[in-house]
Order: sequence, then structure tokens, then C-alpha cells
Amino acid sequence: MMLDPQELGVVETDRQVHAARCSPCGQYLFAGGFEGEVRRWDLDGEDSPELQPLAGHHGWVQGLAFHPTEKRLFTADSWGELRCWDYAADEPAPCWIQESAHDGWIRCLAVSPDGKLVASCGRDRRVRNWSTVDGKPQYEYTGHEHDVYNLTFSPDGKFLVSGDDRGVVKKWNVLTAECESEFDASSLYAYHRIQDVGGVRVLALDAAGKTLAVGGGKPSRGGTVQAVPTVLLFDFATGELQHTLELGKPQDCYVHDLVLRPDNLVIAVTSGTPGNGQIIFQRPTDEEPLFRSNKLANCHSIALHPDGRRFVVVATNKGSNGNGRRLDADGNYIGNSSPLHWFELT
Amino acid sequence: MTNPRCKTWEHHLSRRHLLGAAAGATLGAAGLGGLLHPAVAGELKQKRKQVLFIWIDGGMSQLESWDPKPNTRFGGPFRAISTSVPGIQLSELLPQTARQMHHLAVVRSLHTQDNSHSAGVARIQRGDPKDRGVTYPYFGSAVARLLGPGNSGLPPYVWVKPGSGGFKHQDAGFLGPQYGALAFGDGQPPENLVKRNAVSDQDLEDRDRLRRSLNQRYAVGRPPRNSEANDYVFDVAQTLMQRRDLFDMESITARERDRYGRNDLGRDMLLGRRMLEAGVTFVKVNSYGWDTHGDNFNGHASLMPKFDQAFAAVIEDLHQRGMLDDVLVIAMSEFGRTPRINGHVGRDHWPEAWSLAMAGCGIQKGLVIGKTNDTGTFVDSEEHDIGHLFHTWFRALGIDPVKTEYNNDGQPLPIAHDDCHVIQEALI
Amino acid sequence: MFRSLTCLWLFLTAATAVAETPLHVGIDALLEAQSDAPCSPCTDDASFVRRVYLDFAGRIPAANETAAFLADSDEHKRRQLVDSLLASDEFPRRLQQLLHVMFMERLGDHEDWQAFLLKAAQENKPWDQLVREILNPDPESPETRGAAFFYTKRLENYGQNPVDYPGLVRDVGRLFLGVDVQCAQCHDHLFVDEYKQVDFQGLFAFVGNTFIRRDVSFPAVGENPLTAELEFTSVFEQVPRQTGPRLPRGMSVAVPEFAKGEEYLTPPDKKNKTPGVLKFSTLKILAEQLPRAENELFTNNVVNRLWWTMMGRGLVEPLDLHHVDNPPSHPELLELLADEFVKHQFDIRWLLRELALTQTYQRGSAMPEGHAAASTIPDYRAAVERRLSAEQLARSVLTATGELDRLEPLTASFTAAFANTPRDPELEFVPSVKAALFVMNDDAFAECLEPREGNLTDQLIKTPDSGKVVDQALLAILSRPPTSEERDEFVEYIDGHADRAAAIQNVVWSLFASTEFCLNH
Repeated sequence: MMLDPQELGVVETDRQVHAARCSPCGQYLFAGGFEGEVRRWDLDGEDSPELQPLAGHHGWVQGLAFHPTEKRLFTADSWGELRCWDYAADEPAPCWIQESAHDGWIRCLAVSPDGKLVASCGRDRRVRNWSTVDGKPQYEYTGHEHDVYNLTFSPDGKFLVSGDDRGVVKKWNVLTAECESEFDASSLYAYHRIQDVGGVRVLALDAAGKTLAVGGGKPSRGGTVQAVPTVLLFDFATGELQHTLELGKPQDCYVHDLVLRPDNLVIAVTSGTPGNGQIIFQRPTDEEPLFRSNKLANCHSIALHPDGRRFVVVATNKGSNGNGRRLDADGNYIGNSSPLHWFELT
Repeated sequence: MTNPRCKTWEHHLSRRHLLGAAAGATLGAAGLGGLLHPAVAGELKQKRKQVLFIWIDGGMSQLESWDPKPNTRFGGPFRAISTSVPGIQLSELLPQTARQMHHLAVVRSLHTQDNSHSAGVARIQRGDPKDRGVTYPYFGSAVARLLGPGNSGLPPYVWVKPGSGGFKHQDAGFLGPQYGALAFGDGQPPENLVKRNAVSDQDLEDRDRLRRSLNQRYAVGRPPRNSEANDYVFDVAQTLMQRRDLFDMESITARERDRYGRNDLGRDMLLGRRMLEAGVTFVKVNSYGWDTHGDNFNGHASLMPKFDQAFAAVIEDLHQRGMLDDVLVIAMSEFGRTPRINGHVGRDHWPEAWSLAMAGCGIQKGLVIGKTNDTGTFVDSEEHDIGHLFHTWFRALGIDPVKTEYNNDGQPLPIAHDDCHVIQEALI
Repeated sequence: MFRSLTCLWLFLTAATAVAETPLHVGIDALLEAQSDAPCSPCTDDASFVRRVYLDFAGRIPAANETAAFLADSDEHKRRQLVDSLLASDEFPRRLQQLLHVMFMERLGDHEDWQAFLLKAAQENKPWDQLVREILNPDPESPETRGAAFFYTKRLENYGQNPVDYPGLVRDVGRLFLGVDVQCAQCHDHLFVDEYKQVDFQGLFAFVGNTFIRRDVSFPAVGENPLTAELEFTSVFEQVPRQTGPRLPRGMSVAVPEFAKGEEYLTPPDKKNKTPGVLKFSTLKILAEQLPRAENELFTNNVVNRLWWTMMGRGLVEPLDLHHVDNPPSHPELLELLADEFVKHQFDIRWLLRELALTQTYQRGSAMPEGHAAASTIPDYRAAVERRLSAEQLARSVLTATGELDRLEPLTASFTAAFANTPRDPELEFVPSVKAALFVMNDDAFAECLEPREGNLTDQLIKTPDSGKVVDQALLAILSRPPTSEERDEFVEYIDGHADRAAAIQNVVWSLFASTEFCLNH
């Protein structure tokens, strides 16, 4: 396969969204927004029409994860609520709701490969597991001392991996809830003035469960954050850091999302100071990326389609920043939006 | 042809002399020399007022603090929480402050003029008065001038901050350098604060007496300003030497330091409280690094708890010590942050509609003043510029902001913007 | 009134055999004619010798120098002292320090810059030439190339901040022309009618294309070509306007058009990073146009600054706010100074000498009897107390203790204690807590007071007669004999103290810590 992605088109949105994921059946794209909404597009329809959203969450919906076999979508919001949906229904309704899964911001969700557990982590420093069937709590993994940003299961389902805002990555035994080892990603963290900057923004394991990718940035300052976007690649078994991929300049900031393909190719998106966004394909052993595009502004999420060819990148409209008053022609305050850019690997 | 806003050479030159004449009264006792209408002098003497001014440099987000708009387009991820005052909610990033809400007045209707840091910081702290061709004093210098140093022997305007210390006389504007700030950097005492072993206490006393005697003789027939200003800095130096304990963090219990937070802001807030207890008239506590154009929400998730902890602790402590009725506490930035969330998941500068909190001396307790619209983009009540706040603060300190004027070389100057007025509902 | 005064001056010059009236006579005549109020009498010899040593040697006189001057009965001894100090090796060093603080405002320092200033002071380089060498520094001249530090220090950038070109423009205007156009950067000045946005932009066109050369190890400035007039828009009016390089009150210089790549006589070499030689160098034009006798702002600025240096207050105040609505306190005096300075080919040493010979300079600093100290009129009836620089203080302390050999290590700590922060002009006497703590507790300062073989404290302790101790201490530190009251008080203190050595040290300390010591009065 040539690694020369062609842009297929853009789906404009009237609002900002961040996490986007394609359903395993390939028919739908879901994205979590800033006003408690989970938006849904029918990819089989002409021009991918937007369908009725999944309503009921509050705040930001950052956690999206699918059941591997059933048409179930799990979503989580920044008010601590976890929901399970029959995502293909015409008028989707929650199958179950866990109203107080966390105290506040749930940062990430992951579903176990056997489909039995959905794991969550959040600002309350907790990592928890829930039954996908009824949302009942199953396990709690205690040990993080700070905001837990991201988590993922190992392909064999034995381990859960979670990373926090200080660059601490823990490898948990799913069933005993013991922390078996840690990965040192503290290079993705800095303390600037009185701000904790950086942290583990994304975790991914390859299909074989051999390599753990930890994405984020090496911060040089807080406030208007500056960081060199970075992916650390660890041997999952030994914990040894094998590769450090620095994917840009300080203004490119964070790797917000990444995919680790079976051939170990890292596909990452970055978002930096307003306007700066990158899509990068890089092999761990290479000095330079195979592909780099900085045409899109502020890329926050990337989702592969199950067809293995298409993928979508959540970016931001150009000119998204600026001090002071700016109004549209009708005198309304101007907000931003997140164009969804579809690509195809040729 | 003379431009009325521009001073002639006479103004510039005579300023020093007038300052000189005023210096004795002002620096010595709580004098009011140089004020055209010292109508409030008697009132001031009754009870000593102080100010704690907490400056959050770079711009705290009103939406992540005092004016949450949860679950709206620009509201961000955080929830609003209840406070000790029924019906008033704050961001969930202020849990400890929420328990002190019954002491606080939150203003949600700030509408100011400048969206740049470089000009905005000074413009806000000088009260953004009408341009009369003079550089107005910062609030700290103004209060130092209007309330005087008291009898603590410490300078009236102290600035506690991370980084370097020193004397920052630029804050004083036309009031003259002696009303500048004495800055303590990184919680450290100034250099050379410890008496040398070879010099006995008796030597110190003798030296002081001999020096004063020389200065008195020298001052005969000369403008008094230089000698008095020089005596004053030696007096302050001696007081600071005696009050070295203020900087001795080891003497503070671990529990107390934990309560304020083991970070720069916690340390400085605690030092600020000790300065107030020692009698300093105006204490500015400064936090830096709030200009969250990028990663605003994780930034505030990290920054706000440090503010919350230190701020709630100082409010509680001042209250418990019975000081809050006489200490005006203000927490603010140079502007708020844009409702719009930019591509860097940050918020930019927003003077259009933002918030501050205040408490204590003369300020109404447990209320919110003004409101913004549902999405927090604009003020949906009377807008309040910094000039309104200056009027309100002066009034809270017992200074009539309309009748009291500075006397700058015979040029009367209002102490707050003449087109603004007191926010009545903020006052007791 | 101005007219009649001018007539008086014309009369004076005519009456005293045309043109040969010394400037100092003219100055005194003008000032006397303007005020009926009594003046302070001429200061006594002790005050005079201290004052003139501080001004021309950058230090107080040593005790023996003071004593010799007091004992001298020659009626021309003041003029002789002025002349001998101006001819001494100490004067160029003093002028070097003065110019350094004036031009750099504590922004930074460089040995090449200091070498340039010292050489200029030694040669008594005319002011216009000095300014020309600063405004268009010649990297090929080892003697003057250090002048580029004026630019290069201001072209440094800090962290992520861009180079502060507006700050450079402002300093060129303030320091060489006496106009602060910073507030006219984005629109016409709000309260100085004369300062227009074009004044800022015109100066900006001269210096806005400069950069620090990285191909050489000494301070050097390069220039990018100016290819078109600058466009600017007032934030108030939104009307686009243009200007070429232009001095305030001057004409815009036409910007020649060159084909792309034709701007250079010698093109820059990217490999060696040499900057090339421009056909149209705005720095060269700036250096040609600014320091000229016809440029009233230029001549008024320098004479006002030198007057301020010697008299403690400018004829125009603030020093950097010359404009039509801020007239000088004594317009005809400023005009006289400027004219005469031009006539004397911008001779700095000559002007300082004339100023030192005036009665105005030689008055006492205490107000005349019966006149309150709080006069608000700048009439020069009494001398104005002046701030001492950190350099003057360090040298004076060590002159008094007789330990000038220790100057090198002490200079830095004196500067840290007594100098202003960068960009803050050292104009007024601003005592600070920091300086007070330095005098009270600093180890380096304390060492100056401790007895060491041959130093002041050592000599005093070894002097058995306490009266003589007091006489010597005051002569060495305050450059005057004690009053009888002072003498009695100090003697009583020393003799009443159980530890005589400690008492003497306390006396010495109090003299150094006194207001009298740290001012030029």
C-alpha cells in the first residue's frame, strides 16, 4: 500500500467536537461535542448525512468506545456520567446509564477485547471497570495520584494500561487490579510556574500487544502551552523505552490522538498554537516521517474506518483565535467549528 | 496655545518640591498632605484599613471560576457547584472558595477597555482614569498615599511575588517614587537583612542616632525631601531587620503551609497574610502564568485548585482573626478569557465580560453583582469598568472617591475615573 | 519679557567688546536679570572643592586635596582647580562613566563600548562627532566600532519576545533629540500636540531595518535595505499614510528604487554571514542629518543635558520632552547655550568648564536666609542637590578610606545596591531600602570601615586626641571641618564609649550613611 493519503472531502460542522470514532460495522461515524452531544453521521448514505444525535450528556463528551461485536456504543462526559447506547437505532436511547461513574471529567473509555468490560478514567484520579451488560461496577484500579488522561486494554485482554497528567503510565492486571509495572513517560510532563503541563494524551497498543505507544508533548512552558509533540514507544513486556519520536516544533505541542498499525507504523495527529496541526505517518526506526501534512489547523482526533483505507481527522476552522470582540455580520459572537476531513490511503 | 492636558515646566519642576513638602507628613505619620480635600481624615483614624490585592497575571478564565456556564457552547467541561450561599454557584474548580462564599462579593459584569497584557496590566491597576497627561499610580501606590503606612514601621505597599524582589518605584506614577512597591521575590527576605555579628545592638543604636543627628543638621535650610526620604529607607530597613521572622517559613507549622498549598502562590499568600498581620497597609500577592491561550482547561484544572486553596485559606484566616472587617480583599486579573475556545483548546483575551471577587472591609457579603448572558459572551446587566471598582474600593476603605483628589503640583486630579461611580450594591 | 532680556544680553555682549564675553558671565547675567529674589551666597571652599571633584574627577577629594585647597590663598584657586581637574586623567574616566549611564541607562555594558567612550573623552571628541559615530558605527575602525553597542544591546531579544524596535526608536529620539515619541507609535501623541505619528514612523524608518551582525565577535550592526516608504495608519483614523526616513521637524528622505538584488554595492555573503554594503544606508543618512548645528532639537538636547548634569535640573524638564507646549524655563539661556556650544564646535569640556565657572554653579545648596525651602520656582537661587551615581559613590568611599586599590571588586556590589533598574534613567535622588540594607549590613561595605594597616579607620584609631579624630574623619568623608557643635558631640560620644575603636567605627559609618555624603550638594 502506498502511504499517500488523498483527501476525499470535508464534512463541515457548526460546532466543535473532539473525539471521533467509526463504528466497527463501518456504517457510522460518531463524535463527542462540547455541549453534551454525541453526533452521528451515516457513512453509507449519500454525502454522509448527519443523523439524530445521541442526547443527554453534559459538558464535554470525550470518551467514545464500541463493543467489538454488538451495536453498542459507550460514551462518557465531563460531568462523570457513563452511558451505553444501541447506536444504530433510529432514535437512539441509552441501554443503561451510570450517572456517577466518576466525580467529574471522564477523560477516556476503552472496551475489553472480549466485550465484557468498559473501563473509564478521569480527573478524580480513578480508573474503573464496568460491566458492558448493565453498567454495574466491576473493578477499581487505585494508585494514580493525579488526573488520569487516557487508558487502553491489551489485545489479549489481560492488561489495562492507564496514563496520567504527570507522565506516569501503569500496567494493571485486569482481574487482580494489581499494578504490575510502570512505564516512565515523565518526559511528557513539566512544571512551569505553578502549572502542571503535558501528561499522557493518548495510549495505544499494536495488535500483537508488543509495543505500547504513549503520545503527548515535551513541554517547555505553560500558559500558552509550548511542547514538542512526542510519541514514546515502549516494549510492552519489559517496559523498556525503545523509540522516541519527536514530531514537530514547540508550537506544534501535543500528539492528541494516534493509531499504531500492525506494521508498527505510527499515525498521529497534533494540535498546537492556533492554526498549527499535523498529520504524520512515521516508522519507529526512521528519522523522518513517511508522510507529513500541516495543511489542517489543529487536529484533535483521528479515526480509522474498518475498511482499512479510509480515515477521518477532526480539525479546527482556520482563524480560530484572537483577542477581544469579533462579531459576524449579524452582530453575533463567533464560535469555532471542527471540520471533519476524510482521507483515503491509495 | 497650551494644551490643558499637558503640564508646563512649572508643573514638572514644582512636583518634586511639593512631594518633598508632603513627604514628611506622609511618611512619618498617617498624614494626608497633598490632598485637596482631606475630609475623611478623622474617619480614617478611627480604624486602620488594609488591602490584600491578589493579582492573577495573564488572565484567569471567568468561565472556569466566578461565572460558570456549564453545558453551554463555550462553557467548557466543568460543572458548577453550590456554595455556602443558596442560589450562588461557582465553578467546580473552586470547591474551598465555595465554602467561603458567604464572605465574598463576586462581580460578573466587568467590561474593560484593553485586551493586551502590555498595556492592560498597568491600565487596570492604575484604574484607567481619563487621560490627563499624567501617569496615574497603581492601586497599591494610591492606597499607600491615601491611607499612609500606619505605625508598623513597614513600607505601606508591599508586593509579594515569584522571581526577583526589589523596589519598584514605577508603580507610583506622579505620586513620586517613595510610593512605589517594595517587592519580596520568591518568599525571600531582601539581601543584607541580617545584622553583622561584629556590630552589637548598642552599635546599631549609636549609629542610628549619630546618622540622624548629622541629617538634621544637614537639612537646615534645604528642601527636606532628600533627608526625609533617606531617613525613611533606613527606618524601613531597620524594621525589616527586626521582622526577619516574617520570612522564616521554618517557623510556620507544616499544617499551615499545607493549608495554603506548597507552591509559589500558597507560599506568597501566606507571606501576604503575615505582612498584613504585621501592619502593612497594602499587600499585593502576585501569581504568574495564567495566559492560557493553549490547553486552557487542563491549565485551569491545574492552576485553579492552587488559587482556590490559598484564597479560601486567607479568607478564612482573616475572618478567624477578626481582620476581615478591616482588610479589603480583591482577586483579579487584567482581563478575562474569550468564551470562544480556540483550536489550541485555549481561550484568548477578553475584556468584554469578565469577573472578579472581593471581600472584607466595607464590602457586602455573599452576593453576586451583575450577570452575563446565557453563553457568557456579553454583560447582560449594567457594565462595570475598572473605574467603577476603584470608586467602590476607595469608598469601602472610607475614602470619598468624589471629594478626595490628588494634588499634583496644584493640578487637582480625581482619584478614580470621573465618569464612573460607586457600585452601591457592593457596599455595606 | 523675553524680548527685553534678549536686549539686555545684546547690550551686555556689545558693551563688553563683542563676542569675547565668556559664556559663564553671560549665563549669570541672564539669570540675575530674571530674578529679584536674593540668591544663596557663593558656597564655601569646602563645598566647592567637593562639588567640583565629584563632577570632574568622579569622586570626593582626598583629605589632603581638600586641605591643600582650603589652605590655598590664591584668589583664582577655583578656576585653577577646575582647569587642573579637567586636565587630569580622572576627568576622561568621569566623562566616560557619565556618558555610559546617560546612553545605556543600565541596559548593559561592553568593554569595546567603554573603550570607545574613554577614548572619546580623552580626545575631548566633539559631541556631534561622538553622536555620528554612535548612529553609524564604523566596524572597520577598531577605535570607534564599540559605539555599535548602543544599537546592538537594544537589538537583543529576550526569550520569545521580538526585538524591541519601538524601544530603540524611542531611545534615539529621547537621548539625541530630547523627544519621547513612543506614545506616537500608533497614533498622534494624545497630549503632546507636536509629536505626530509620522515622527515615530520617520525615526523608525532610519533604524527599523537594523540587526546584530553575527559574523564578527565585536558589537556590530547590519542593515537590511529600505526599499519603500513606510506605510502606517493611525488606529484612530484608519487613513493610510507613508513616510521615508525623517527626523522630527525635518523632511522625509526620498527612498530610491532599486531592482531586486541591486540594493547593494557589495552584496551580503550568506556563507560568511557578512552583511554587505548598501547603496542606500539609512544609518548613514541618520548620522549625516541628526547631529548638525542646524538641528535645534539636537543642540538643545545636548546643552540641556549637560546643564542638567552640572546644575541638577534641566532648562527643559523632563529632559526628553522638548516640544512647543513645554517651553524651557529660561528660553534665552537655552538658546545662548546652544549657540555658544555650536560656535565652540560642540566642545564638551569647554562647556562643562564654563558651567563650572558660573556663580550659578558655585552657589550654596541651602536656601537663602528667610526663604522657605519649599520654593517651586526653578530660578537657580540655590544649588540643587544632585544624586551620586554608583560609580561616584564607590570611588568616593574608597577615596575617603584611602583604599582605592580595592575599587575593582567593590564596583559591582555598589552598582547592584545604588544603580537604577535597566531603562530607568538615573535622574532623581531615590533612596532605597536595598541601598540602606547594603550600607547597614553588607560584608563588602563593612570591610571598608574596618581598620586595616594605613586606612582611614586605622589612622583614626591610632590618633589619641579625639578632637583630631573627628576633624580627620569629617575632612576625609564629608570634605569639611566639623562645626564646633558636631565636634563636641562626636568627641563626647567617642570618649564616653568603653570600646574606643568601635565608637570610631560607628562615627565613620554614620558619616558614610549620612544624606550629606550621598549627595552632591
